[in-house]
Amino acid sequence: MFVLTSLSFSAMVLFCLAMDKHRKQVLEQKVPIIAVRFFRPIAWLILLFTTCLSVKQFGWSIGISVLFGALTVATLLLILLLTYRAKIVPQVAIALSLAASVSFF
Amino acid sequence: MKWFHTWVGLIVGWVLFFMFLTGTLGYFYQEITRWMEPERPFIEHKISNEALLDIAQAYLIKNAQGVDEWDIMLPNARDQNLRVGWRKPPEPGKKRGKYQQTVLDIKTGDSVESRATGGGRLLYRMHYRLHYLSTKISYWIVGFCSMLMLLAVITGVVIHKKIFTDFFTFRAKKGLLGWLDIHNVLSVIALPFHFMITYSGLLFFLFTYMVLSTNLQMSEDEYSEMRKEIFPRSAHLESVNQPKEMLAISHLYQQVKNTWHTGELNYVEVFAAGDINAQARFVRHETDITYNPEDEVMVSAVTGEIILQKPKEYTVTGMIHNGFFSLHEGHFAGSITRWVYFITGLIGTAMIASGLILWTTKRKPKQLKNPNGPDFGYRLVEQLNIGTIVGLPIAIAMYFYANRLLPLEMANRLNWEANVMFISWATLLLYPAFRPAPKAWYEQLNLAAFVYMALPVVNALTTDKHLLNSISKQDWTLVAFDLTLFAIGSFFAFAAYKYQALTFEKKPIKKVINPRDVIADESLLPLRPMNKENG
Amino acid sequence: MSTFINYLNLSSARWPVFSRALAATFGGYALAIASSLLISQLLMQVTGKYQAIHIGLILTFLVYACAAMWVFSVKTAKKAWLGLLKSIFFCLTVTWLLGKITGVAN
Repeated sequence: MFVLTSLSFSAMVLFCLAMDKHRKQVLEQKVPIIAVRFFRPIAWLILLFTTCLSVKQFGWSIGISVLFGALTVATLLLILLLTYRAKIVPQVAIALSLAASVSFF
Repeated sequence: MKWFHTWVGLIVGWVLFFMFLTGTLGYFYQEITRWMEPERPFIEHKISNEALLDIAQAYLIKNAQGVDEWDIMLPNARDQNLRVGWRKPPEPGKKRGKYQQTVLDIKTGDSVESRATGGGRLLYRMHYRLHYLSTKISYWIVGFCSMLMLLAVITGVVIHKKIFTDFFTFRAKKGLLGWLDIHNVLSVIALPFHFMITYSGLLFFLFTYMVLSTNLQMSEDEYSEMRKEIFPRSAHLESVNQPKEMLAISHLYQQVKNTWHTGELNYVEVFAAGDINAQARFVRHETDITYNPEDEVMVSAVTGEIILQKPKEYTVTGMIHNGFFSLHEGHFAGSITRWVYFITGLIGTAMIASGLILWTTKRKPKQLKNPNGPDFGYRLVEQLNIGTIVGLPIAIAMYFYANRLLPLEMANRLNWEANVMFISWATLLLYPAFRPAPKAWYEQLNLAAFVYMALPVVNALTTDKHLLNSISKQDWTLVAFDLTLFAIGSFFAFAAYKYQALTFEKKPIKKVINPRDVIADESLLPLRPMNKENG
Repeated sequence: MSTFINYLNLSSARWPVFSRALAATFGGYALAIASSLLISQLLMQVTGKYQAIHIGLILTFLVYACAAMWVFSVKTAKKAWLGLLKSIFFCLTVTWLLGKITGVAN
């Protein structure tokens, strides 16, 4: 579940950064527009991967439900961070991903 | 559409808040019951399922004589105690006998007497059955509110045109916009849940609400048949009154363990106990929302062999219907998923609360300018908001206080615990009528903080199941309950602090100098050199 | 009598709203039931009697919700009532006709 939430968080961060107004909130340096065009597709791929992971572990019915739960928690966390501590969002995403990878093993 | 969304939400918002809050707590109803029955022993860690089954069987053979259907519920992550149940033979004239249940003390093998309490089960029951009202009326009120909730969810999406552009927007420090944003955010991040919970909620009493349709289309017999098809039950053999010694249930469990490679044993049902037809059905935790036939294994209690069962045949629509139930109640949820359900339920509750607060916040500036004070409607909504959004949590805390403080021998103790809750809620609903709104909010928030923080302390003073003991015995359910109480108290304390900072801070009054006043009162003129007058 | 009628204030804006609320609540419910009859009649040959009825029942809430939303989006309360009555009539008639054609007693 932790892995699913962490992956969802990363996907949501990418969706968020794809939007101009939020990218300005979070990142100080400017990102080349060409790179930004890839954020959304990559985010969708991460979501697809997370779905497959969830379904593989829990089966179709429970897997999809658990995925929605992970997305809810991840998005809530992201929105709270954006409002109160926007600058640390990328660091949190990286930290969560590392922690999740460690918990895998 | 926006007007429509506002009104369907406003008409039943407080009832929906009650339903969402009690429903969210309902996800942990077993854990709440456990805390409310402190006579039950702490969890035993190092005991095998086989030993537990032996203790249960010994008790049932001794105390449930003449009964041929037994249930054995093993301790699990939610309910840490071994429980046994059986259905007494029916009294003359009745179809089913009364169901008897008791917790067993693993050390002594005897039953445990707990105080008379409705526990978490009563709280959860209020979610769909309300209280003090008849079943029929409750179901219709709940259905009406759920239908309006469905309308609110659908119209909410329809009116939120900027749903994707504003997906991550939360302008926290901007007053009214902040409340609108948080209402949108809470609705959108859990939108699948909100829709699922509302629709599945309506489906629970589908046959009650749409009785006209079923009556027009089918006879009584056809209706019974259809229900049996939608809700199939596993078959089992009845007793034939030929007593035969049963094998130990723990021994039968060995067979079952070999078939299951995953999954924890949840409970055991024994049919035709002590008879030649005796069977035991072993059931593990649900692994599929719709149906996994492997979750149940039937074993002959006389020969020890596995009886191959025909899987329950679900029609497609039956699977959808039952799937919705399973999703709504979170049957399949393990510990972590259950917390996610809880958090998501709280998100739904907060969504309703933020909507109600949004309504008053939007109208506040205009209402405060009213020469005779705010309108009746506005004041009513504000009063209900304070009394429900903060008042209902306080009332629920009072339910827990009543559990700890009411005398054990009191008559009707169970009902009185609930009465305390509703009397508190009524008081807190009436109280804001006598205070200016900001003071009422602040005082109730502080009361909520105090009441929740003090509860674990009262727990420690009145029982032995307090935080220090639960931590040392590693009984994490009880630990989590007390800690959650502290967390809720802290949340209300923080809310009270924030409310005070934002509402009661004194802004410096800027003196505006009106030119006409200046001419009338020379002292308002800035000092100038008096050369011309004084010479 | 005339003061009573004055008191009722029939030209107030609240009456159409009240009328629509009635239409949405009771008319919508009637339409939901009628639609469930139609849906089950349509599906009866395909899925068997009980499943058809079941599907019709499950969808009633959706129909009810859409009907209620529609009632509050049309231009006048009168149009709302007329629309509902027309739809209910349509559902019931088609259900009855289908029943006659397929020879299935309902």
